[in-house]
Amino acid sequence: MIQVVAISRLPLLHGKADLILLVIIAWGLQEKARQAWIVAVLCGLIISFVTAAPYWSIILPYLIVVWLARHLHSRIWQSPLLAMMLITFIGTIFQHLLMILGLIFEDIKFNLTDILGSVTLASLILNMILSLPVFIIIKDIAGWVYPVEIHE
Amino acid sequence: MRTIPSRTLQIAIAILVVIGIIFLALAGILRPLLGFVMDPFVAVQRWLSDRVMTVVDFFTLPRDVSNLLQRNAELENEVSRLQSQVIQLQEQVSEAEVLYSLLDFARARPESQYVAAAVIGRDPSPFLHYIIIDHGSDDGIRYGMPVVTQQGLVGRVDAVTASAARVQLITDPGSVVNIRLQTLKREAQLVGSITGELYLQMIPQDVTLNAGEILLTSGIGGNYPADLLIGQVISARKKEIELFQTAVVQPIVDFTTLRAVLVVTSFKIIDIAPLVPEPAP
Repeated sequence: MIQVVAISRLPLLHGKADLILLVIIAWGLQEKARQAWIVAVLCGLIISFVTAAPYWSIILPYLIVVWLARHLHSRIWQSPLLAMMLITFIGTIFQHLLMILGLIFEDIKFNLTDILGSVTLASLILNMILSLPVFIIIKDIAGWVYPVEIHE
Repeated sequence: MRTIPSRTLQIAIAILVVIGIIFLALAGILRPLLGFVMDPFVAVQRWLSDRVMTVVDFFTLPRDVSNLLQRNAELENEVSRLQSQVIQLQEQVSEAEVLYSLLDFARARPESQYVAAAVIGRDPSPFLHYIIIDHGSDDGIRYGMPVVTQQGLVGRVDAVTASAARVQLITDPGSVVNIRLQTLKREAQLVGSITGELYLQMIPQDVTLNAGEILLTSGIGGNYPADLLIGQVISARKKEIELFQTAVVQPIVDFTTLRAVLVVTSFKIIDIAPLVPEPAP
């Protein structure tokens, strides 16, 4: 709802941040968050219901970033912030490539240079800026949902 | 010879002296003298008064501070409440102004029926230009119905649920509107773009297109009613090697600040697809 009501109204040039994508990435990077796949599918379905974009261009990037998050978390677990930013970068680019593919399938003409400059790059900057606060908030929420067990 | 008693004489002299002093005082002649005499007394009085008030304050102030703090808190709460009330009222006034202007538009076109709806969201995709409105099929909204504001054409309904609908704006890259140039009486197509700009297409090369030319819907194609205002031409681009010229259009509706819209529920979309001849194999 925040994405549709608030974030979508705050563009940078013609780019928009994807809060859902960031939340899914941040959730996927949490050690005990095993339901990240379910979260990604549910969020993808909800956004697909709202947006006019093809459903696969929404759900696929969410699943890919979850896979990346789980994959990278086991390898660079000491630098979750770095992983967050890396996956945000890859996820945004991948998401926009799929959306551009959707436009091509819909036979919509566009100027690729304009899109990359004013939409993709702007969205990428917004996502990268928001990735850190989102990660911190989701980390806190994950710590609250899955409290650390103390072994005596 | 009778002598005046000394007692009476003293009283008379005293009265005369007092009257004299009063006159002198009233005339202001005694002011320097009075000042010289009174100033030390006033200074002492002021010093004494300050000390006494300090002592009085010492005993009474704690109670007053407590009362003042309580009163201050009450007033701050009251100010906060009033401020939020002012913001709410301003918001209602702003909303009422939008609705009044929509109502004026609807009254000016009594031949059509309208449903007013608030804009409650936007498409999260940066490549598409859609809005979500808070009325759906329960309110008589159907697929394809045109959406307008008091200023002009906004778009058309693209998807409907029971209580909400998604509207494709004319700035969406997938949107095509058949238009008529008001003064030139020529028809063309208006297409949106990913960046939200509007372009005119299919204008023959022989047409002299000037900036400021007004665009109205033509009604051709059966997707939109005729004579809805869209915007005006900003600049035209003509290339000799191309069949048609193009132009950039400034929409009359500010799509970034859309808050409420009217759905034209009396408009029936006409499907002309079966009438379009298929190309021969």
